[in-house]
Amino acid sequence: MQLFNNIKIDWLGRRKIFYSLSAVLFLIGVINVIFRGFVFGIDFKGGTEIVLQYEKPIEISNIRSLVENTSLGNLEVKTFGGETGVLLRTDLQNLPKELFPIVVANIEKAIELLYPGLSRRIVDSTVSSVTYEFPNHDTTTTLISELFNAGFQAGKVSESLDNKQMVVNVGISEWIKENLKNKITDNNFKIVKEDHVGPKIGNELKQDALIAILFSLIAILVYLAFRFKFIFALGAVVALFHDVLITLGLYATLYGVIPGLNLEIDLTVVAAFLTLVGYSVNDTVIVFDRVRENLKIHKTIPLNDVLNMSVNRTMSRTLLTGGTTLLTTLVLLLFGGEVLRAFAFTLFFGIIIGTYSSIFVASALVLEYAKRKDKKFQF
Amino acid sequence: MKEFRFKIILILGAIGLSIYLLFPTYKNYTNNKEIAKIISDRQLELKETQPSVSKIELDKIDKFVEDSIKASNPSYEIIKSKSIKLGLDLQGGMRVVLEVNTGKLLEKLAKNPDDTFHKVIVDAEKESALSNESVVEIFAGMMQTRGIRLSRYYGTVRDEDSKIIDDLNTSSEDAVARAMEIIRNRIDQYGVSEPTIQRQGSRRVIVELPGIAREEEAKQLLQGTALLQFNLVKDAQSTINIMQRIDEVLAGKTDSTVDKTKKDTSITVNDSLLNQELSPEEFAKQHPFFSVALINPNSQTADAYVSEDQKDKLQFMLSRPEVTAVIPNNVEFHFSAKPFGVQDGKSIYVLYLVNKAPELTGGVITDAQATIDPSTSGAIVNMQMNSEGASDWARITGANIGKRIAIILDGAVYSAPNVINKIPSGNSQITGMANLEEAKLLEIVLKAGALPAPVSIIEERTVGPSLGEDSIRAGLKAAIIGFLLVAIFMVFYYRRAGEIAAASLIFTVLFILGVLAGFGATLTLPGIAGIILTIGMAVDANVLIYERIREEISTGKTVKASVDSGFAKANSAIIDSNITTFLTGIILYQFGSGPVQGFALTLMIGIVASLFSALVIAKSIFNILVSKGVKINLG
Repeated sequence: MQLFNNIKIDWLGRRKIFYSLSAVLFLIGVINVIFRGFVFGIDFKGGTEIVLQYEKPIEISNIRSLVENTSLGNLEVKTFGGETGVLLRTDLQNLPKELFPIVVANIEKAIELLYPGLSRRIVDSTVSSVTYEFPNHDTTTTLISELFNAGFQAGKVSESLDNKQMVVNVGISEWIKENLKNKITDNNFKIVKEDHVGPKIGNELKQDALIAILFSLIAILVYLAFRFKFIFALGAVVALFHDVLITLGLYATLYGVIPGLNLEIDLTVVAAFLTLVGYSVNDTVIVFDRVRENLKIHKTIPLNDVLNMSVNRTMSRTLLTGGTTLLTTLVLLLFGGEVLRAFAFTLFFGIIIGTYSSIFVASALVLEYAKRKDKKFQF
Repeated sequence: MKEFRFKIILILGAIGLSIYLLFPTYKNYTNNKEIAKIISDRQLELKETQPSVSKIELDKIDKFVEDSIKASNPSYEIIKSKSIKLGLDLQGGMRVVLEVNTGKLLEKLAKNPDDTFHKVIVDAEKESALSNESVVEIFAGMMQTRGIRLSRYYGTVRDEDSKIIDDLNTSSEDAVARAMEIIRNRIDQYGVSEPTIQRQGSRRVIVELPGIAREEEAKQLLQGTALLQFNLVKDAQSTINIMQRIDEVLAGKTDSTVDKTKKDTSITVNDSLLNQELSPEEFAKQHPFFSVALINPNSQTADAYVSEDQKDKLQFMLSRPEVTAVIPNNVEFHFSAKPFGVQDGKSIYVLYLVNKAPELTGGVITDAQATIDPSTSGAIVNMQMNSEGASDWARITGANIGKRIAIILDGAVYSAPNVINKIPSGNSQITGMANLEEAKLLEIVLKAGALPAPVSIIEERTVGPSLGEDSIRAGLKAAIIGFLLVAIFMVFYYRRAGEIAAASLIFTVLFILGVLAGFGATLTLPGIAGIILTIGMAVDANVLIYERIREEISTGKTVKASVDSGFAKANSAIIDSNITTFLTGIILYQFGSGPVQGFALTLMIGIVASLFSALVIAKSIFNILVSKGVKINLG
């Protein structure tokens, strides 16, 4: 079977059409980025994320209404995987101040239950912990293990042998778990995933991700400049920018539009973008490789025609190589599971746009440059 | 055929090597299945016979059963170490990033801190949460803008700010080393299999605990401050006596009158212990304790030596109720933190019996330094104490000359030096370390008690085992579907040549897995995605070659000439395009952590493997078929 054999189309003569198409896609993306922005996962934003797996299917709206009363205002609730999975997320790092009295009351209640009337005093309380002091070491130690077994994050303040202080950590995840455990009693859950990321790590990662993407663009620019001509390398890298930016725009545009598709930018999505950068340039290289070869053979034919000829001759292979990879990313998107969905989505659309730009954008940019400078290329 | 001999050998070699490297992974899989079955059988049995057993006890027994199965056959561990490792996201587990709280450390180090100091520290900590600069630098900067010299709080009056900053930075580095040692020690004792503890940057520690079940407990384990204590080691005779009692109880000889009659002043060892005529099996039966904990009868001490694979077994023995009943309640056993030596490839640990009540705890230590003693050129550690500790220490050392004092951090013995004479000032010298590194470790340990390194968890990720299993299943399914679709497409589009491409695709996947196993690399979920993606990208090279061959044939060349020039002319495009992808793979590997690195790794291995498959395997098949006159249908 053969497709796209012997096509003779003047693609570069129609390059204005492709410029406008790219510009439109780009604008849609930019507008959405400005007005809707990106949604970052907790990898970058910091925060707490818990995934619960219930024994039986559970109504997500039910959970939502239950956690509404937990005073964690912007708590997100989503399904995860099938009907039994629930994802809860908040970008809060610590429990809100107004919840503290309730938490302390709960601890007090638990202490009263174990040692009624025990003398105690709160020596310190921070945003994420309360520290108690008790009259003697042994009571403190037993109380800590009892409270720990009762589900509190209790621990010794110091391991010294006369330690009389107990610190109880009160984090967001403990608060959510405690709340849900008490309210739904006929359907137990277990925690399948729990992430907690501090805000500093998130900022560092954002920076690292940007640097990584820039570095890979530079690496590609240098390599292609070395193998072809600088302007070819530049054309390829501009085409890559084009791919990355349009795909990013798509993220902002489609966030929350397609149910079940969670388009948040997290670490694996950045990995997908980097892969896109590395892979999308492949098709461009195929076209340029042919241009290089044709320029050697047909020294008299104008550049415009050489480019057209090269694009036409490589059309089938560009589409086929992109196509097989697209096929596997589609399989990943459909069958790869919840965790990899955004990753697969990025590559799926990225490869479509990348193949398009390899054919129609990269060569056109080289031509623009040559026309403006009235330059001839020789390899 | 002669001309292809080298290539055929190369290809068969690569395939054979991959299968050889992958065999342990397969074997490990079947082994794990077997062990899991034995354990679940045992569990059912236990539940029936002893319904009162608690879950924690059950877990303990499971672990013990698993360990003893593994100990009975060392090949389990060897095979496991050679098989493909699964990342935390696939097998479940916990990853924690800890950061040493430099602010707290600065507070602790400061002499006479005042209100201004506290205020600046709080501000500096706040700012550091969003900055790349270290707390020390921010703190120093803030002090400088206020016109306060750092020597007001640190060092001596004459010290320049820059020297103090250097010192503080060193202290903060030290704190990370201490935190790592404390964490490593605790994890070792907690019994997590294959933990990784690595340092990241100047003040972070990444801890990965695969398959951890009780995460809350693990978290506490990581965050608490360390307990350093000095306990008197029991004298040899009482130790031997207690060990013999334990041995008898374990062997089923409950005749406790034997012990009472044996009160001798010299070190006596039960006769049958020295009886060389017993076969190893009989000895193990009669002396279950001494067959595991080996005593050197010629030694002045009663330290017992245990090989690493028997440590859990011994611990289990010691925790049995009938054994704890015969151990006096003022003493307890502790293992050494580090192996004493290596025998038959296994590390040997030492078991000490010490007084339960510590003579002194670590809070009194003010400083410790490891150095080389110029007179003996042996490694030593100098230790200083505060005045309170020094007077206690003088009394303790004075009363126990010739005895040994164990330095215990979080329950593990780091050193048990002899008391040579009374130490009045608290400035003590510990000798007997094999080298400076060992001395450095003791320095860290001593300081750990002196100056707890406050660590806080800044990132924490837990993946439950069920999610990991789901991910593996989804990944495998996607891989198989992806493979079939691509293979079917290639065969449909290129006919016979497509079949060759599909066959070489199988080898590509085989090579990727083989290399992963060979390098002991870790497979993560994004890593599986990388393999799936590689399946789609691997045929790119075939497509480029086939399209080129078709082109050459259409110009009227013979099939043989077309195949040759097709492969030759497609080369440059294939190499150039793959190198760019490989470059981003390298950058991704540098940038990423954990799962993402796994992806970058499979991507890079995949590129190399697919190039080999397309340029060597597929080409050889083509050439052989062409040389035999077989007509290859390119569709």
